[in-house]
Amino acid sequence: MRLLPLAFTLAAAAALGLAATYAAVTQSRGLDVVSAGAWQGWPRSGTTQADPYARAGFARSGELPLELADGLMFLATHDSAGAPLDGRCDLRISGPLPQARVWTLTLMDAEGRLIANDAERYGFTSNEVVYRQDGTIDIVLSPRARAGNWIPTGARGRVKVALRLYDAPFSFSSDTGGGADLPRIATERCP
Amino acid sequence: MSAAIPPWLDRLFVGRRRALPRTARPPVLIRLRRALGRLPAAAPAAVLLPLATILVLAGITHLVSVLAMPTLAERSAYQRLSDIARPNTLTFLPDASPSGMVLPMTDPAFVSAVCLYDLGDHPLRVRVPATADYTSVSFYTSRGVAFYALSDQAAGRVIELDLLSPAQRAALPEDEEITAADRLVVESPSLRGVVLVRAYARYNDTRPAIRRQLEAASCMPS
Repeated sequence: MRLLPLAFTLAAAAALGLAATYAAVTQSRGLDVVSAGAWQGWPRSGTTQADPYARAGFARSGELPLELADGLMFLATHDSAGAPLDGRCDLRISGPLPQARVWTLTLMDAEGRLIANDAERYGFTSNEVVYRQDGTIDIVLSPRARAGNWIPTGARGRVKVALRLYDAPFSFSSDTGGGADLPRIATERCP
Repeated sequence: MSAAIPPWLDRLFVGRRRALPRTARPPVLIRLRRALGRLPAAAPAAVLLPLATILVLAGITHLVSVLAMPTLAERSAYQRLSDIARPNTLTFLPDASPSGMVLPMTDPAFVSAVCLYDLGDHPLRVRVPATADYTSVSFYTSRGVAFYALSDQAAGRVIELDLLSPAQRAALPEDEEITAADRLVVESPSLRGVVLVRAYARYNDTRPAIRRQLEAASCMPS
């Protein structure tokens, strides 16, 4: 008679534990998250000090994270006001960028795939983008063609943006101080 | 006149009124709180003990499965690359495009090549001439942990280094002029892994030229 409750307990424990693992490896990129405004970075995930969650996530996804001496990636899935990034809206990424030899900004759909478009434009690099007078950037993500720095979103629902800084002379091992030096993301117009 | 509400309509309204919750608070929460309040009185040991057991076992399952993931994962970067690349040779990765990329989250602005290494027999010699733009070499274990990276800024015209296993490194004579010979020695924590060679193409049309420059790179057993 004690066998059934025991089996149920074990099954429930296994289901709960594996569900938590699945959620962790699909959602998280590590525990050492550094937030700067809308952006999140994981500086230690590209080092040998990567925590077990980062290791598990990368082993499952097959991604090779940027080694910290090479560069650092920031991801944004929400705008600066906290709303999820919606590819059907006009999204504006504007503001100053930290010192780096090269930076690239890449638009992806929710699964991390590039979004097909006729212009073959998936993002901007520090050499392609047209800067404003004061050296800041101003990039618009929109399903409709726009003047200036425009990345087509293909009217996807959820999108995310990766900002990669290469050969950046600063250290991100501690907090970056409230996101003063990463660009703002604003949702401007939704259909 | 006929101001009276037809009985069917009245019934409809009564039905609606009953469907509304009696209080403003969601009844689920109230029921939950009452259940929690009754819990110690009802059957403390009979309910709480299995519950605690489930939670503890679930925690253990979670930790073990997270720690085991790197060894159990079947589509890790090393395994994906084994399908398209031979060990100890440099293989170019197809450009990242909407139809897919070999490794997820690859920066589409870069030309990438990989070299799967196996230090079982010999150390690996990596030689990457700097291209016209940012060039970097990064090293990963077969489980995808990054352990070293070097860019052309730090290395100069040619990125040149020897990758050794811990045993090979220990066997190196201390006084050999290997470090003096302007050659970097890097120790790999694992016998197998991935060397990722990347070069930045600032515009789409400079990509073929960057790729040609990167073709001069090599990785071979030494």
